[in-house]
Formats: sequence, C-alpha cells, structure tokens
Amino acid sequence: MLDLLVIGAGLSGLLAGVAARQAGARVRVLATGAGATHWHAGTVDLLGYLPGKRAPVMQPFAAMPALFDARPRHPYALVGDARLRASLSWFSTLTASLGLAYEGAGSEDAALLLPSAAGAARPVYLAPRAQLAGDMRDERPYLIAGFHALRDFYPQLIAENLRKQGFNARAVFLPIESITGRSDFSPVHLAQALDAPEVVTRLAAALRPWVRPGQRVGLPAILGLERHQQTWAMLQALLDAPVFEIPTLPPSVPGLRLFNHLRQRVHLDLGMTVSDFAAENGRIEWVSSRSSARPVKHRARAYLLATGGILGGGFVSDASGHVWERIFDLPLTLPQQRSQWFHNDFLSPQGHPIFLGGVSAGADLRPVDANQRRIYENLWVAGNLLDGAASIAERSREGIAIATAYAAVQHWLEAL
Amino acid sequence: MSDLWLPPEASLDQCIKCNICVSHCPVAQVTDLFPGPKYAGPQAQRFRHLGQPSPDASVDYCSGCRVCNEVCPNDVNIMEMNARARAALVAEQGMPLRNRLLGRNELMGKVGSYVPGLANFVLHHPVSRAAADAFLGIAKEAPLPRWSTSGTFIKWWEARYAQRLISDKKVVYFHGCATQYYEPFIGKAAVLVLEHMGYEVIIPPQNCCGLPMLSNGEFKAAGKLYDGNLRKLGPYAQQGYDIVGTSTSCTLTLKEEAPHLLDRHTPASQSLTGAVWDIFEWIREHEAELPRDFVPVDWVIPYHQPCQYRAHKVGSPAMDVLAMIPGITLHESHARCCGIAGTYGYKKEKYDIAMQIGQELFDFILDEAEHHHTEFNACDSETCRWQIEHGSGQDSRHPIEVLAAAYGLYHLNTRDILSSEDINTNGDSR
Repeated sequence: MLDLLVIGAGLSGLLAGVAARQAGARVRVLATGAGATHWHAGTVDLLGYLPGKRAPVMQPFAAMPALFDARPRHPYALVGDARLRASLSWFSTLTASLGLAYEGAGSEDAALLLPSAAGAARPVYLAPRAQLAGDMRDERPYLIAGFHALRDFYPQLIAENLRKQGFNARAVFLPIESITGRSDFSPVHLAQALDAPEVVTRLAAALRPWVRPGQRVGLPAILGLERHQQTWAMLQALLDAPVFEIPTLPPSVPGLRLFNHLRQRVHLDLGMTVSDFAAENGRIEWVSSRSSARPVKHRARAYLLATGGILGGGFVSDASGHVWERIFDLPLTLPQQRSQWFHNDFLSPQGHPIFLGGVSAGADLRPVDANQRRIYENLWVAGNLLDGAASIAERSREGIAIATAYAAVQHWLEAL
Repeated sequence: MSDLWLPPEASLDQCIKCNICVSHCPVAQVTDLFPGPKYAGPQAQRFRHLGQPSPDASVDYCSGCRVCNEVCPNDVNIMEMNARARAALVAEQGMPLRNRLLGRNELMGKVGSYVPGLANFVLHHPVSRAAADAFLGIAKEAPLPRWSTSGTFIKWWEARYAQRLISDKKVVYFHGCATQYYEPFIGKAAVLVLEHMGYEVIIPPQNCCGLPMLSNGEFKAAGKLYDGNLRKLGPYAQQGYDIVGTSTSCTLTLKEEAPHLLDRHTPASQSLTGAVWDIFEWIREHEAELPRDFVPVDWVIPYHQPCQYRAHKVGSPAMDVLAMIPGITLHESHARCCGIAGTYGYKKEKYDIAMQIGQELFDFILDEAEHHHTEFNACDSETCRWQIEHGSGQDSRHPIEVLAAAYGLYHLNTRDILSSEDINTNGDSR
C-alpha cells in the first residue's frame, strides 16, 4: 500500500510528491494530464501585488501583514512565516540539485522585476538563472531578439513597451533558419533544437552583429530543453553579453523544464482521472480512477489533493454557475451563480471572486467545513484549490503552490 | 467509463488549445509532415464534415501512440479523432497494398508458420527486403519478426494440454498473433505463471484483435475481426471469466480501442471490455494469490512501459508486480514511445521518423547498459521489443518472462521453459 497518493500534477502536486519521497515515503502522483507547469512562466511569484493596489510589491515579506489584513484566510497565513520561508529555501535547494537553479533578487525580502512577453514588468521572487539578466531594476540597455516565424513573440512590442518605461531598448528579428530548417514548430521544438551546440553556434552568429557593447540580450524562452544550462552559458560566452529568456505564451518552456526535472524524482502516472472514492469513519479508504475498462482502485494511508481550482480542473461547474470540487465534493467558498463570478473590471486588482474562494483548510492543511470541523482525517490539500487568495491578481500562484505543498507534507509527516 | 457514450469527436470542445499535446507529441517533434495532435485533431475536426472531402492528409502521419491523450489536461480523445479521420481518408481515397499487408499480420503469420524456416529465409533475405522496400514500401531496415521454428504457441499448448493444471480457479488467455506465430515462449511463460498462481488456463479459439487494420484505417475489416472475437470470447466474458493477454496493444484494442473507434457499444461489447485485462494488470489485482517462492536473483532491469500500455490508464502494473521480486532493481524509462507504433515504423516513408522518435529510449537503454551493466531490458509490447533490440542492440524481454524466470520456471537467455527436472538437477536455473 502507498503511504501517500497525490492527485494532481501541477507544481503543488509534483512538489508534494517529491517532498514525501524525500521523507522516504511510498508515494505516487496521479493526474488527468500535464497542466499548470506548462502554462506558467517557470518563475516563482510570491506576492506581486497587494489586493486593490496597482504598484508592485518589492518587499514581499514586509507586505505580508497588509496581505493578511485584507485576506485573513490566505494560504500564507495558514502556513505561517517560518514554514513559508523554509519552503522557498527547500525549493531553491531542490531545483539546484536538479540542475535547474533558481535565484532571487539578492536578499531574502526583495523581488525581481522581469519583462513579460508584452514588455511589462512582472514582480517575481525566484527565477531560473537564465531569466535574471532581464531584471528591470537595473538600467542596462536591452536588445530584444525574436523570429518572424515564431508566433506570439513580438520583439518590437516588447522593446517599445520597455522604451515607454524609460529603458533603452532595441528589437531585431532573426532568421528562423539560424535555429531550424523546419517550417512549423512550437517554442518547445525550438528549445529541443537548441540542445545541439552547433545550433547555438549558428544562433550566436546570427545574433552577434546586432549586439552592442553593454547591452543585454533578451530572447524568447527557447534556450534548450534537456541541456538548457549549457545552451544558455554557451550563448552568453559566444556573444560576450548577458543573455536572458522571456517566457513565451503557453506551452512554456521554462515550465516544461521544471515539470521534466521534477518528474524524475517521483513516480507520476498521467492520463488517470480520479473520479470516485470511498470513506469510512472519517477516513478515505480508496480513490478510483477511470481506465480503459473498469475503474482502478488506489489505496493509500493518506491522500493529498492538488487538482487546482476552476482553471486547473479541480473545480467544475454547470451552466448555471454552480461550482463543486470534482472528487470529494469538498465544501467551497465560491459564488454559486455565474453572474457573481467576475468583476466588471477585467483587470481589477482585487481579483475575480471565482478565483478568490476555494477549499477551506485548517492550519494543518486538512480541509474543514463551514464550522471549521475537519472533514477527513487522512486528506490534505495544497495549491490553488485553497480558499483565501486571488493568486492571479496577487501574482502568488507558485508561492502558494510551493508553500502549501511543502507544509501539507510536513503536517502529514507530523500526524504519522 | 461514463454511462453515456459520446463519439470521440464530441470531446473537441473540451480542447482549450493549450498546445501541451503538441509539446509532447513524439512525431511532431521530429517531422514537419505531422503538424501536431492539436492541429490534426480537434482543430482540423471542425472542418471535417460527412460527405465532404477530408481537408487534411497529414493525419496519416499520426503514429497512434496516444501520448497526446495521456498528457491532455482536459480528456480530449485526440488520437481517436485522428484514427477516425484516417479511416475516412482511406474510405475516400483507398489505401496502398502495403498497408493491407501490414494490417493482415495474422494471415502472414499463419502462412509463414507452415514453412517457418523457408519463410524466415525468404522474408529476411537482403534481396527480398530490398524488393519489398522498392516495390511495396516496407522499410528494408525495419525489424520484422522471425517465425517460430519450434511450432506455434497453440501447437505447444495442445501437446501439453493433458498435463495442464486443472483447478477451480480459471482464467482465459488471449495470446495474440505475435505469440502464436513468432514468440510462442511469451505464451509459455504466461501459462507457467498463471498455473503457478493456481489458475487453470483456458485458451479458446480467437483471432487477431484488429489493431493493425484499425491503425491503417481499414475499419470495415477490423470490425469483422472484432466481431469474431466478440463471438469467440464473449461467452466467457458473460460467464464471468477474466480474459488476460500478454500483448498490451491487443488487450487495449479489445477493451477500448475497437469498440470506441468502431462505434460498437452493445451490452455484449461492454461485457467483453469489462472482462479483458492486461496480464500484469490482472496479476496486480490478484496480488494476494501471487506465490512468493522466488529464486534468488540479482537483476538491474531498465523497464519501458509502452505508450499502448500507458493508454490503458491503469498505472504501471508490471513495475508494481516485478518490484515484489526480492533482488530486482527496476529503472523506469521516461521515454514517450519507441517509435514503431505497431506498423508505423515498418513503412518506408516513416521508418526514419520512427527511429528518431525511438532515440530517447535507445539512449536510455544504452546508458543503462553502460552504467549498470544490464544484460537485458523489459517491455510489454512485442513490436516495441523488436524496435528496442533494433535501435539499441540490447536484448529485450516481456515482463512475464522476467516473472517466470524469477520463479525458476524460465530461462531468460534461451527463452526456454525449464521443466521441474531442470531445476532439480541444476539448482542454478537463473
């Protein structure tokens, strides 16, 4: 029998699986498919914006009390300051050991400002090393390079928006032939092509004439998949200039790298949709997943639910706007009418109500009902299905995933 | 399974265009000839209408590996859409003789089995391979199997019939064409393990599952094969017998692929679906009956779970079961597909694509051999094993051979079963 069954293969599910595995547990991760890691920028956003505020948070830990004033049930409040910090340092150690090192702004309570694919500043807490040189807190001039043939990445747009923010920024289109002779590709295919050193040499040769002394060079995040660190280092050496990646629209190569590395550390079964369960005396006895012929039962001593919210597929709804948690039908603090899901202001810094609510959990990250009573003894929850945060507007998705995955596993171990 | 059956095409509205399938598609990674599952599947599907010409011939380059379905976060039946679109193209435009031949592996197997020595000589002779390459389009390098020169599996079974284990516990065995004509030792290993678990093995008449025809878009003929198995195996399913198979793509076809692609949704087909198991899926379910009298072993085995096995959506049963053998260390491959995809890699225009797809698996196998001195690897599907041996030069075994050997019932190098006498006179049966 498994010690822990994790449901969901986004960042929180994968990290929970890895953390449990590190503790020596027999653990398995089940998921319908790949998901959230392929959709995000591969950075760790901790707290980018306070509710209702439009200025980025540059000292996220100093801003936590203000966050908790506005959102007292925030997952960071549940996890607590010490565990939040410990989880981030655990993540840094883990990713470094995977050969995919993440770094921050230099001190523990500081944020990076990284340019997005639209040239806007994204407050980021930790980023893969290959994104660091884009930091908008320093004033070095930019050269943004892209490819005509690459959809959804427009260097002129990025450079123009950087100029509007006071930067010296130029843009250049390179011939796609410097990377591939193919006529159709995705960012992932370009990244795979750039795993080959001779392709990096060709790209450097195409780029070199455009680079002026003192410039940093921004490229779409396609600098290698399996050999990313080597590709990035080699390109910097050949250009003799700092090179940084700008995450593209999904599928995101930096997110895919993280997914590929994390799944080396925990057994993951994809294509397995958990759809039923049985409980007795307040304990989950088994869950079952759909298969090609008959439901497959999975028995574990404990379960960790990390299926995400309405975006990740953890919550589903009907046409009226009624929303429920897909597997255990856990109580949700969400508007149950479609008309109440969204603010009129699409970019409202308050975040939309449908993203703010979710599963309520106690301080030990076990789900609770409206009366704060624990629902199942052996069920823990982590990630963006948790109530109390508007993670998109806050820019806190990965921070919540890391903190709650780490803390949920710690609480589970303590309860053993 | 949901109670309400919807055709695979109905799932296209679940596609959110996230491109995760394109990122993981092993075919789109190596060639422009296939634009990727999203484009050929849910996107092109909007332009496919009954009675109108098919807009997109690139679906023929889909290998059917189902990796797209596996990674899709929204349960879109991408591969099924592609397979049905290919069948529509075949119905419209016809198909080459080559694909008809590749779809008729059972007939080929049967014909060759009358004169296996001659058949092997002729089929594998460089001149005939060159001719098949030039005139038929069957890649001359591709790893075609060899007919068994020691007789078919059924011949062995009939000779041994009187000595079979008789028991109250019974299980039906589906051997498939490859075990019948090329690799009877796989079936022998399966029978030995099932009997070792105390089960009486029943092997009713059966025919090809129809997958090679389904993969080549020959749906009508595939339907006849499926209906044949429904007639022959259906009564066992209805009486509550479990039907286990060692060819993981055959069991997937009987369970899901044939009824799903061919719109067979009768109570009889549902009953067959519910009775069919991959052998390790079944053994895992019957874990309590699995004897623990293993012989001492010291094996490091790289294991590749075929894409077709992952498509059963039952997790990793072979790994789960083999892990119970003391002294075994399994190293799991994360490769998506070996490339061969049934008949795909045998086609001249697709051979190079298949080999490029398989490279990540070959690299893994070779790396294991170099660093862990592994003598063989394990994989559940016959064509994958042939492709692995072809691409890496390393011997590949079915996990059921490994399990039989771990009981001292089977010799992994010679692929012979060991009689109790062998074990008594030669304590070292490993």
